[in-house]
Amino acid sequence: MTHRSPRLNHWIIFLAVLFMLFGFGPGAGSVLAAEKIIKIGTIFPLTGPVATAGQRCQAAVQTAVEIINNKHPEIKVPLAKRAGILNGYKIVLVHADSQGKPDVGKSEAERLLNQEGVWALIGSYNSSVSKPASFVAERMKRIFMCGASSSAALTQRDMNYFFRLAPTDKTESIEFVDVLKWMNKTKKANVKTIGIIYENSEFGKHAAEEAKMAAAAGGFKVVADVPFSPGATNLNSEVQTLKKSNPDALFGAVLGADYSLLVRTMKQMAWLPNIAINYCSGYQDPVITKQLAGDADFFMGSTAYSPQFASLMPAVAAVEKIFKTKTGGVPFDGDSIQEAVAMLVLAQAIEKAGSLDPDKVAKTLYANTWDSPLSLGGKVAFVKGGQNIKAQSIVTQLQGGQYKRIYPEEMADTKIIFPMKPWGKR
Amino acid sequence: METFVQVLIDGMLNGMVYALVAAGLCLIWGVMDVINFAHGEYLMVAMYVSYWLGFLLNIDPLLSVIAAGIFIFILGAMTYQLIIRYTIGKPGLVALLATFGLAIFLKNFCMNRFSPNFLILTDTWLGDKTLHLGNLIFPVPQLVAGLLSLVVVGLIYTLINTTRFGWAIQATAMDRDAAELMGINTERIYLVVFGIGGACVGIAGGIMPSYLAVHPEVGSMFGLIAFVCVAMGGFGSIPGAFIAGILVGCVEALAGFYIAPVFKYIAVFGLYLAVVFLRPKGIFGW
Repeated sequence: MTHRSPRLNHWIIFLAVLFMLFGFGPGAGSVLAAEKIIKIGTIFPLTGPVATAGQRCQAAVQTAVEIINNKHPEIKVPLAKRAGILNGYKIVLVHADSQGKPDVGKSEAERLLNQEGVWALIGSYNSSVSKPASFVAERMKRIFMCGASSSAALTQRDMNYFFRLAPTDKTESIEFVDVLKWMNKTKKANVKTIGIIYENSEFGKHAAEEAKMAAAAGGFKVVADVPFSPGATNLNSEVQTLKKSNPDALFGAVLGADYSLLVRTMKQMAWLPNIAINYCSGYQDPVITKQLAGDADFFMGSTAYSPQFASLMPAVAAVEKIFKTKTGGVPFDGDSIQEAVAMLVLAQAIEKAGSLDPDKVAKTLYANTWDSPLSLGGKVAFVKGGQNIKAQSIVTQLQGGQYKRIYPEEMADTKIIFPMKPWGKR
Repeated sequence: METFVQVLIDGMLNGMVYALVAAGLCLIWGVMDVINFAHGEYLMVAMYVSYWLGFLLNIDPLLSVIAAGIFIFILGAMTYQLIIRYTIGKPGLVALLATFGLAIFLKNFCMNRFSPNFLILTDTWLGDKTLHLGNLIFPVPQLVAGLLSLVVVGLIYTLINTTRFGWAIQATAMDRDAAELMGINTERIYLVVFGIGGACVGIAGGIMPSYLAVHPEVGSMFGLIAFVCVAMGGFGSIPGAFIAGILVGCVEALAGFYIAPVFKYIAVFGLYLAVVFLRPKGIFGW
């Protein structure tokens, strides 16, 4: 029989204590449980052409988590008045960068769920990324909360664990066509033809398909169908094609820097339609709008939130204060606020379910209508497939750098300027 | 017909900018046989130089081109001194991977320092100005960029073909060992060539904030197109790269307008493939 030396025994005991202390031993699970942490993964485009939007979305989720984890009696949103959920559980975020690429988003979803052990995912801004990333979550029976992706196809897949907050491009297309009909009826605008410019991606292509269907149903003729490659060096051919067809109205699904390039190229080519309406896009980006200055004016778009909506959504101001500390003073926009809502609604559902069983939480999400002071309609409710049927947006027009509410009429705070003012007369 | 001419003008003006970006790459590739994957990122850095000079000191991009050119000359020379020098004589893949790493470093450095935000210079001298000739529109920023390209490419061509330094560059490109035996300091030639290559793209990037938003990803597509121009024009041929640049611009514009906008890059890379198959040395290669 051999005996270990006392020196060796000391080392073994020392290493065992070290392992226990840092959670590598058999007690590791219980240490984590004692900390009462729920890990949530976020996937946004933090780099790449739409990184500004992605970073704001991430900041919005961080803002929501700060409200959930800490007492904020001054904030009038659910869960703000106490710290944590489920009797003291805190949410910890694990961030990932999709770069706006579907393959990267998918592998990041796999990494977050398999290696980081996150309980649920939030993301991914680009519809093209949300689609594969949510498939990963669905396969692993984990909840995927989608704030801003607007492709209607996402909620037509009958998935059980996917929930989307934003209005779809289908509802937006119908709304845009309604605006044109309203203009023809009340302003004698005589809009008959539509041009569509869109990025050649899941989001852009689907938005264009929905736009064509809505236009046909509304009796409008699509005379220009112009897809383009995101990140192009120029948009000259695209704008020339639009100029040649000269549609009365232009629908745009153009993100990030491409939007500013589009507006500047339209100015250089001295072309404007009578009315231009954008899906959630560069139009909503307050940074781009500020930098384009007067050139951004008179364009229109669907907007779920802008600081000019303060009177409609009084609860936002206090939340926005926290958000601005994370974005260097940039306020919420229609996309980022949806991601904050996604986090808050998920936390409410966990609290109501009283459990961390994803099945129970998913069922609870479907079964209830959620109070959501950060949403335009004030409520959130999901139907089969995961679409929020209470999602609303207002069609706004940029006037003097401000998002003015135009349609529906009952929510309007100013009159539409029609046709758009020519470039030379601004 | 008028539309055709307008599309052609747009294509030529964009093509001349591509040519200027490609000229620097062509010089480096032709003389040193080094593929500089960071070329697009040089462009992006030059745009930031021009943007910040405009934003902080109110210097117009039209003047900032000089500072941007000098800055990227120094960056290019430093790249040679600190990275490329150690890859000379090693398999070509070493330099390629080294510049690829540099490209990632530059992109992420700018993202870290300046954020991924799109930065736009407003109220520049050239701004959104246009010249009208009948119904034809000439966007002034692109027109000036095109003229600048013509001047810079002309200067480089003259430098290489009519000066002793240019002959030394040519000699080094043909046979480095023989050039050294003739008393040419090839190390210095390489250093200066990398600098001049950088200066070309620096000048292009310096003028661009007049009409293009600046962000960390802005150089990627320009870099890719520059590779196409160099390969199409013929490795090491400055006139070849210039003509290929204009050709690429025109093909892009005509295909984008007459076939479909989404086809414009397909046409460019299709043409590139055709040239590679039919004349692998490029149009002006030897």
